[in-house]
Formats: sequence, C-alpha cells, structure tokens
Amino acid sequence: MSDRLRAVYGQLLAVLFALAIGAIIILMVDESPVKVFMTLLRGAFGDQAKIAGTLLQTTPILICGVAACIGLRGGMFNVGIEGQLFLGGFAAAWVGFALPLPAGVHMLVGLAVATLAGAAWVAIPAFFRARYNTNEVVSTILSNYVAVLLTSYFTIFLFKRPGGWSETPPILPTAYLPELFSFSRLNWGLVIGLVLALSVAWFFRYTSKGYSISMVGSAPKFAEYGGVNVKRQGFLVLLVSGAVGGLAGGVETLGVHHRFMEGFAPGFGFDGLIAALLANGSPIGTIVTALFFGALRSGSLLLEVETTASREIITVIQALIILSVSAQVLMKRRGDSTAGERRWKF
Amino acid sequence: MEVLDKLLNVALLVATLRTTAPILLVGLGGSFTTKAGIFNIGLEGQMLVGAFFAVLGSIWSGSAFVGVLCGVAAALVFALVFALLVVTFRANEVVVGLALNILAGGMTISLMKAVFGTRGSIVGHGIVGLPKVQIPWARELLGSWAPLVSGYTPLVYVAFFAVPLLVLFYRRTRLGLYIRVVGEKPEAAEALGISIARIRYVASLLCGLLAGLAGAHLSLGYITMFTENMSSGRGFMAVAILIFSNGDPLRVLGGCLLFGFADAFSLRLQTFGFPSYLILAVPYAVALVALFALSYRSRPRIIRETLESMRKLLSVEPGRADADNTPST
Repeated sequence: MSDRLRAVYGQLLAVLFALAIGAIIILMVDESPVKVFMTLLRGAFGDQAKIAGTLLQTTPILICGVAACIGLRGGMFNVGIEGQLFLGGFAAAWVGFALPLPAGVHMLVGLAVATLAGAAWVAIPAFFRARYNTNEVVSTILSNYVAVLLTSYFTIFLFKRPGGWSETPPILPTAYLPELFSFSRLNWGLVIGLVLALSVAWFFRYTSKGYSISMVGSAPKFAEYGGVNVKRQGFLVLLVSGAVGGLAGGVETLGVHHRFMEGFAPGFGFDGLIAALLANGSPIGTIVTALFFGALRSGSLLLEVETTASREIITVIQALIILSVSAQVLMKRRGDSTAGERRWKF
Repeated sequence: MEVLDKLLNVALLVATLRTTAPILLVGLGGSFTTKAGIFNIGLEGQMLVGAFFAVLGSIWSGSAFVGVLCGVAAALVFALVFALLVVTFRANEVVVGLALNILAGGMTISLMKAVFGTRGSIVGHGIVGLPKVQIPWARELLGSWAPLVSGYTPLVYVAFFAVPLLVLFYRRTRLGLYIRVVGEKPEAAEALGISIARIRYVASLLCGLLAGLAGAHLSLGYITMFTENMSSGRGFMAVAILIFSNGDPLRVLGGCLLFGFADAFSLRLQTFGFPSYLILAVPYAVALVALFALSYRSRPRIIRETLESMRKLLSVEPGRADADNTPST
C-alpha cells in the first residue's frame, strides 16, 4: 500500500511541476497565472451547472481513458481512440436517425453498433500488429486522419440534414441516452463510464484472463513461456480497446449532441490516452485523472471568455504533465544499463 | 486519353517534387534517430513548431532566411527536450513523442492567440516567403521541361541534395558509422567505448534540424502562412516511411516520392469533382496500405535475420564481433 501511496505522491508532484511550468508559459503570453488558474477553477466548479458541465466533459474522456487503459495494460498503444470515437459516434447517429426502433432498445442498439464500429475500425491495425508486428502507434495515428475525413464525408455528402450545416439529421428521441438532471445535458453516459472503469479494474484484478493480459503487457516473453498466445491476445486487446473507443463516440452522440456533426468531439481520444497514462494504466485512477482533465476542459470555456488566453493553454498544461510524469517515473531507474528495455511502467 | 494527359504531365511531376520536399526533409531527419535506434514519433510536433516560428521570425525580421533559422531553432529545442527525456531520463519514446506533439499543437495555437489575437491562421502581417531559385540556362536547355529542375524554393533543393549526402554520411563518416552502431548493436557500441547517450543526442538534434527546415518549408515555401496543425500528419507519414525503410536515405526518398505523388495526384483529382474529403484521406490511406503491405513483405526477412543472428551468437568469434555492424540488407 505504501508503494501505491508513493506512486500517487510522485504523480502529484509531477502535476505540480507541470503547473509551475505552465504558469511560466502563461506569464509569457501576457496573462496572470493566478487569474488563469482561478478562472479555470471557477469555470469547472463555480456552480451546480458548471459542475454538471465538468462531468459532461469528463464522460467521454473517462470512457476513452478506459479504452486506453485496456490497451496499455496489454502492452498496446492504441493512439487511434480518436478515430474509433468518430466512427462510433457516426455509427450511433446513423442507427439513431435511420432505424426506427422502440424506445430503450433503440438506444442499446445504437451503443452496440457504435461499439462494433470502433472495434471494426481498429481491426486491421490490430491484425497486422498481432500477425506481422506492424507498429500499432503509427498505424492507429494515421487511421485517425482517415476516420475523421471519412465521417466528414459520410456526414456532408451522404447523410447531410437538408438545410443543415455539415451535420446529420437529428436522431429519434427513442435513441436518446436519458439525462440525469433537468438542469444539464449530463446523462447516463457518465454512469456507463464509471461502471465500465470499475468492471475493467475488477477484470484486471480478479480474473485470470486479466492477469494474463497484464502479464503480456509487462513481460511478454514470460507470458509466452507461461503458455499465453501472445499474438491472439494482443489482437483481442486492441479490438476491445477500439470497441470501448467506439462506445465513447456512441455515448457522446446519443447523450449529448443527438446528431453527428463534423468535429463533434475533438481531442477526447487523446485526452483519454493522456488520462490513462497519468493514471499509470489503472482504470480507477483514470476516473480521477479524467475528472481532472474534464475540469480543465470545462474551465477552459470560461477562460476563453474572461481572459485573453486561448483555451488551448490547457492542452499545453496536459502535455507538460505527461512530460514531467514520464521523466519522474523513470528518474528512479536512471542507473539501469542502456541495454535495458525502455517502457512505460505498468 | 485527354483526361490522362490532363492528369499526367510535367506539371504533375513538378507538383510531386514540391509536395515531396517537406515530407522528405522530415523523413531524412527521422532517419538519424531511426538509425540511432530511437523511435521518434515527435517529428510531427518538431515540424509544427518549425513552421510556426519560421513565420514569426520572418515577420519579426523581414527576412525569410532569419525565419528559417528561427524555425530550425524552435525545432532544435523540441529535439533537445525529446533527447533529454528519452536518452537521459529513459522515458518512453512513444509517450514523450506524443506529449511533445500535443504540446506543439497547443503551444502554437496559444501563442498565435497571444501574439496575433486570432485563431485559425496567420496570413499577411508581412510574412516574407522564400524566394524561388531560377537555375540559369534551364529554359534554354530543357524547354518545357525546365520547371522540373528550376524555379523551386531553396529548401526543395536542400531536401533532394540531402539524400546523397546522407548516403555518404552513413557509409563514409565516422559519426555516421557510430550512429548506425548505436542503433543496431548498442552493446557493441558500449564495448567500443562509444558514448551511446552522446550519439543519440547528436542524432536527435540532427533530426530536429531537418524537421525544422521541413516546417519552415511548409509555412514559408509555396504558401506563406501558418494554420493550426498545418503539418497535418506529415510527420506521422514520415514515421511510417521510416519504419518500412529502416531509415535508409534512398528508401526514404522512394517512400517520400510515393507520398508526394499521392498528394499531388489527389489534389489534381479534386479538380475532376471527386469529393474533397475522400481525396484528402488518400495520402493517409496510402501510408497505411504501404505500412501494412511492407510489413507483410518484411516478415520472412525478420525471420531470416533472427536466424542469422542466432547462428552468429552460437559461433562467436570474439575478434570479429564488431565487423558485423554493417546492415545485411
């Protein structure tokens, strides 16, 4: 337990360090760091509606984060969550407006199809990663660009709402994810995300399948020696990770936008990956880090209104956090020999 | 036939060379890190800051040359941070590279807002672009083929001349050899007393230099403007090329020409009324297909090389251990 406490403590120190550098950068763009941080805080937690807004932003980051956790634990960098999110989002919207189904069933079918779309989108990179060891980082990054352009094409050339501007027709109300409160668009997606994070954590902690996946992630040769089919498992890990990424898109479409539009959820996939990295691949930890990044995002909306700083300053802060975390995690291992494997600690 | 004539002509070849140049520059930059055994996914970000600071420097000084220097300096800073974290702190290359890319995206947009008060793009403001180089006698000697060799911006020539230079660099210079040894057999390098860390720093900085030039070419070359995320995945395509070319300059050139052609050809298709979104996706799709196809092809080679190194391991000849550092391909 003290080991884990020390890890959390180190992570917190890294975040503080990144915030300090962020403050210097904010000074460089002629703003007051105190004002920026206070505005972020107020924008994220200022009142009931703002807290709900933060949780609304947290939802896709959390689900994408869980998707990233699954990949990371299995030794796979799924950098394509962004693309899976877009494909899943579009697929859910299509089910929502094109397939009239009874209430409830409609929503579930939408989410299921979104999940399938995410898995299908990652299937080819996953296959080549498992079979021919094709670098999954590059193939999934490149497939993001294709996914975004492809969904834009679907939206604008094939399914454009007549008279609308680069968006599909609205989905039928039978496919809506129900809202949690009357004063916000916050919906059951958050609950889905939390349940998902908890069950994935449980899966990795208490099932032998979860153990063998973690084993492949941390010591592939040992796992292979122990009789795990490393290739098959790597394929499945990426597939499930992609499926969860697709689900995130479905939740975003059916819960928030109720239609698919160009650039409907920019950057959530990357935020999820960063949240998972900051949480060191732990789904439970990802709940906390996703909330943190959700708050940053939500706060940045007010930042844009009240200060001259751009909301992208939070992207800078996020990147700095990951950089300082990556340095501190490995600070302890500086004495290793150069031949040692360099990998993220999981 | 007429359609084909419109599609394939000298102008297309010229456009291919032009679109090849930035990805070739960044690809050759990545060749240094690839050869030194570093997986550098941060090329994209280095290129982006290069493009942004080139514009900034050009506006500030009124000189395109100073602009290029500023772009290179910014990319070098990113390369230095990358090397610091990856080499000295032994952080994960993928994580650091991705984080630096994200940092580059956020930083350039924030700075754009802070300096110019706008979002989206910087146009005008007195950006000075790179001049076009007219080769003397080209028109007299080549007639209508002259645009093929003359009239490009200087960095296009730099990109293509860098290819033979890099071939010589890896084959004939001591630093080139050291970089290869460090990448292929770090243990051998260590045994020879080569400082792995120092070589990797040098490789990373050389990479930053070329990535910065690539960025400067993007924003000061044929269009003189900066837009959000204007490197638009070229750095990642370069990484894909580096994976299947193993960083060999000639094969990098081949891969880059393929993408340059895909880029130029698809832009041309656009004038025939194909949906622009699908056209824009073509270069990425080509990169993916090439990556998959070539990894399928390289499978037997991997097995063969593994067998070879196993055999070498079994029949160790201590005196000849460092003669095996030259690549077998």
